[in-house]
Amino acid sequence: MMNFIPPRLRKPALIGIAGAVFSVAWVVRGGPLWWVSIMAGVATVIRVVALWALGGRDTDEGALAGSRADERQRMVGLRSRAVAGSAAAVTAFLGLSVTIATKSPAWWAFLVMMAVIFFAYLFGLSDFGADTDSPADGESAHYAARSPASW
Amino acid sequence: MKNRVREQRGQRGLSQAEVATALGVSRQTVISIETGRYLPSLPLAFRIARFFDVPVEKMFDPDDEEAGT
Repeated sequence: MMNFIPPRLRKPALIGIAGAVFSVAWVVRGGPLWWVSIMAGVATVIRVVALWALGGRDTDEGALAGSRADERQRMVGLRSRAVAGSAAAVTAFLGLSVTIATKSPAWWAFLVMMAVIFFAYLFGLSDFGADTDSPADGESAHYAARSPASW
Repeated sequence: MKNRVREQRGQRGLSQAEVATALGVSRQTVISIETGRYLPSLPLAFRIARFFDVPVEKMFDPDDEEAGT
């Protein structure tokens, strides 16, 4: 989907889009805090430029930011995302516990976070896990037919 | 698992950057493989072996791991 964007611009573009959505959300909200949208916009521009600059560096972080990571660097990124996911799950659980204990109306937001994290984990297991539906050794007609014993 | 990437690279007088470019990986990855901090995938291990024209089992020696190296 993003192949038409040069690799070094892909992550900055994603951050730019996310920042723009966040800024627009503050504009839509309106009220006395409308100026937060400007702050968010400025912060987004700074982040996009910083990410683009990082993408030119000859480091693991630069390779990940520039979308040109090799297999080891992709694994480093994957592990980092796993740590971030674990931290998000713990934070969501603590948030849910605290909001329930304090009778805060925001408890459902943490519940949604936990549910999303949980189902994303299940999705990952089913998508990347072993193909348990495949027949075990000796059960496949294809391999049995090609077995040297049947030649 | 010990490997002979550094040894082979030294014999050919190549820099880590040159090997990295030839293998299509980063210089940092070549450094990590040489120091044993990263075990390459099978496809990369075969690319390394082919690049240095050395059998893969001679380039990567699992027995060294059992010897505690």
